[in-house]
Amino acid sequence: MPVVSLPYKYLERLTGADRKTIIDRLPMIGCDIERILDEQVDVEFFPDRVDLYSTEGVARAMRGFLGLESGEEEYPVAPAKIQFTVDENLKDIRPYLGSAVIRNISLDNEAIISLMGVQEALHWVVGRGRSKVAIGVHDLDKVTPPFRYFGAPLTRKFVPLDFTEEMTLAEIMEKHPKGRDYAHIVSGKPVMPLIEDAKGNVLSFPPIINGELTRVTEKSRNLLLDVTGTDERAVMTAVKVITTALISAGGTCEGVFVNGKPCPDLTPSIRDVSVSACNKLIGCSLNADEMAGVLRSMRYGTEPAGPGVVRVRIPCYRADIMHDWDIFEDVAIGYGFDNLETMLPRAPTLGREHPIMARAGLIREICCGLGFQEVMPFTLSCDDVMYTKMQRPQDSRVLRVLHPISEDQTLVRTDILPLLLDLLRINKRRELPQKIFHIGDVVRSLETSQKMALASTHPGADFSEAYAVIDSVCCEMGLSYDVAESSDPAFIDGRRADIVVNGKVIGVFGEIHPAVLSAFDIDQPVSAIEIDLKALE
Amino acid sequence: MQLALNEKRLLLELTKIRTASPEELAIVLDRPAESVIQYGGLLSQKGLAEVDRDVSIRLVLTSEGTLYCTEGLPERQLYDSFGESSSIAELNNHPHARIGLGWMKRLGWVKIDGGSVIKTGNAAPSPIEKALASPDTVSPEVKKELLKRGLAAEEESVRYTIRITEAGQKFAASGIELVEETGTLTSDQISSGAWRDLTLRRYDISKKPRPVWPGKIHPYQRLINEMRRILLDMGFTELYGSVVQGAFWNFDALFQPQDHPAREMQDTFHLKERSELPAGWEKVRDIHEHGGETSSCGWGGRWDPEKAKATVLRTHTTSLSIQHLATHPNPPEKAFCIGRVYRRETIDPTHLPEFEQLEGIVMDDDVSFRHLLGYLKEFYGRMGFSNVRFRPAYFPYTEPSVEPEVWIDGLGWVELGGAGIFREEVTAPWGISSPVLAWGLGVSRVAMLRMGLSDLRELYQSDIDWVRRTPVMNDRGDC
Repeated sequence: MPVVSLPYKYLERLTGADRKTIIDRLPMIGCDIERILDEQVDVEFFPDRVDLYSTEGVARAMRGFLGLESGEEEYPVAPAKIQFTVDENLKDIRPYLGSAVIRNISLDNEAIISLMGVQEALHWVVGRGRSKVAIGVHDLDKVTPPFRYFGAPLTRKFVPLDFTEEMTLAEIMEKHPKGRDYAHIVSGKPVMPLIEDAKGNVLSFPPIINGELTRVTEKSRNLLLDVTGTDERAVMTAVKVITTALISAGGTCEGVFVNGKPCPDLTPSIRDVSVSACNKLIGCSLNADEMAGVLRSMRYGTEPAGPGVVRVRIPCYRADIMHDWDIFEDVAIGYGFDNLETMLPRAPTLGREHPIMARAGLIREICCGLGFQEVMPFTLSCDDVMYTKMQRPQDSRVLRVLHPISEDQTLVRTDILPLLLDLLRINKRRELPQKIFHIGDVVRSLETSQKMALASTHPGADFSEAYAVIDSVCCEMGLSYDVAESSDPAFIDGRRADIVVNGKVIGVFGEIHPAVLSAFDIDQPVSAIEIDLKALE
Repeated sequence: MQLALNEKRLLLELTKIRTASPEELAIVLDRPAESVIQYGGLLSQKGLAEVDRDVSIRLVLTSEGTLYCTEGLPERQLYDSFGESSSIAELNNHPHARIGLGWMKRLGWVKIDGGSVIKTGNAAPSPIEKALASPDTVSPEVKKELLKRGLAAEEESVRYTIRITEAGQKFAASGIELVEETGTLTSDQISSGAWRDLTLRRYDISKKPRPVWPGKIHPYQRLINEMRRILLDMGFTELYGSVVQGAFWNFDALFQPQDHPAREMQDTFHLKERSELPAGWEKVRDIHEHGGETSSCGWGGRWDPEKAKATVLRTHTTSLSIQHLATHPNPPEKAFCIGRVYRRETIDPTHLPEFEQLEGIVMDDDVSFRHLLGYLKEFYGRMGFSNVRFRPAYFPYTEPSVEPEVWIDGLGWVELGGAGIFREEVTAPWGISSPVLAWGLGVSRVAMLRMGLSDLRELYQSDIDWVRRTPVMNDRGDC
């Protein structure tokens, strides 16, 4: 989740409340305070509330939440004059463009930092690392409309941000730090997305870098916004979030004709929601007026719409409102989670253990009764532990993870005994005897089932010990079993046996082979048992 | 006062000779001297005897010292190797030239004139030479020199003396009966009644026993069992299911958009196997694309069934909850699951790629968000967290969402899990029309708080001694 820095002075000025009041109440609208610094507070907002990624947006929400203001903010858009065209040759590359002009704005340093912060956060959360959406803000007075968004050849040159020399698009992708970060999004395409003005000045090479020419400074008075991407809804979300923040920062918005259609549309959307449905979901008993009041404190517009219904005007920046329940959640937040009394339903239900878990519990009881201590090893393992050290062939049904984090965790265990031996290795300096067991999940093909294993190490650990234990385990599990000569290479020939129940081999026991012991770096004999509980089903 | 047979024998012997060394007593009592010291110790605990421990330090020749004692010190050997005088160059051929020459000069045996070493005629035995014969009786200065030259070393020797006390005399005078003691009670002695005439040897209860390690349930499993019991008590049915899940159940059915970063290889363990989509998958597609028949607008865009056929190691047990609901769409339904989940995180003390998650769901006609808060409060309360508060939160598949925090002395408010009501986008495709309350919790986080662990790995790669030392009944901590 993105961390947004809120500079106190700017935040206090926009909100009209002191920092302590704001910081105290912030978590109750939904965020985690990351750090409180001298000049700013760093806050982690949830990925659905992209409108809170700017200081302006937080101030707007807090003014409502603190009761300083109520209802929606108005976002007038002056008629479009400037033309912006999208070329057909971007159709399969990055076809969507949103734009707006902001006039008569004066950004101080804190406002510029906030603007850069909201861009970064949107790039990450809405833009999925700029692949879905990329945002550029430009000093409009440095360029001449109309503007053109088109696919340009890699040989096209301009001076990218933070550079003084012209570079070709190919050079930028290779050498510019942002180029190296984001070139993968467009590399291999026949042409590159580019935005230029009437005179051929380059404003931006989306999604990689803006031009140095249109850099926004404290002196910039009129701004042009470009948002490009592969998903129209996401592009428009970014336009709305940034435009409304810039209006809150003191600018006025003027539309832009994008392929002849005026942009942006900052009108609220309308939802008629049921008061009783809201009360039912939250468990409260608000009337329509009370509910509307709470919603206005959450910065919605409301109007009556017949009995038991509230017509909600959803501000354009609230991209997270997908369903009536999203509005109901805001009713709960506005009402205050701490004001909701907790309760339990009167009618009870009957609980039931899962039979596999019940069985596991009984097996634990048996193993503990025999003096074995439970251990709980990882379920991720590797060939070396699972098969190589055990001298066993690979289980053909083993599942391997496609991108392991480490060499130790490349597959999901198919057996448990190897992990017990690995634990004996870790504990080789601890007092003997050591007797350990585990019952847990193994995965073969796509199927999860359970195995159990026991291991005992001390100078006298031998076949007879394992035989005595398995005899007792089978007896306690109510199994009548036979033994048969085993060929499991993890055990010593002549000191190993398969456990056979109803003609089916369900497990193996005996003395672990000395070569296996050395492979695990164990220097005492080990007697062991493993049972596949799946084979009993 | 109760005395063991050997104590009585020692006391009786002491009444005769008053004081003696353990070695002397060992012969009379026919027991090893170490045992005699032990009996003496037992008598002294009862005030009947005293055991004096006299530690003396002796000077003993080292192997080098012993060698020089017979062959002569290096300076003496060098002195004897030439006549009245010799050139330094010639003397340097002698193996002891380097040490010997310095000492000869220091002792005044020779003087050096130009390149020659000339004997002074006075080469009486030096104090060190004399000391080698009887190192234990030398003056402190010589002793220091012997130690410094590594010719002798200090050796500690302990001498015990056992002496009877006044009280011991009195006790012995009151009469001591020597009866043969028995160490082990046998079956024959019990059945024949012979035990009536036996004196069983008394044990020294002040001595600690050897440790016995019981077979026991792992402390972490005990915590899991405690949570299971609480949920079963609260009327929840337990779920168990596959570790491997189709992306459909792990993500899509939970309204996770297909381009959500958590689905990608960086965060989730993907497998190469493919899974089948269940009957009714089209409704999930519709929900994603436009909200289906609900009031939702969906995520928009195209939903790709191929992406949903990928398989992953489950990233949460919610994949089991939704499958349970899909097959049990009628209320009431209360279920829980505690199972291992997988996240592609690098191992460090507080992050592991696999850990246990607890999840509970409640579906009923009339349950609300306030009931969810009630269940949370009840569950945490039974876990010993009596002070719970709630904060807004965001999870892709719940609305409203809430983050419970519990108060822990010394730590303050600690976030413990997440909860919410399943979005209609999650429940509608399966014909579920009642609200579904859901909450999840990282079990290992509770384990860390309860057991005071600083490293989660201790749970899975356990030090056996830690398991042995963790009491079955006392791991509840203060919370």
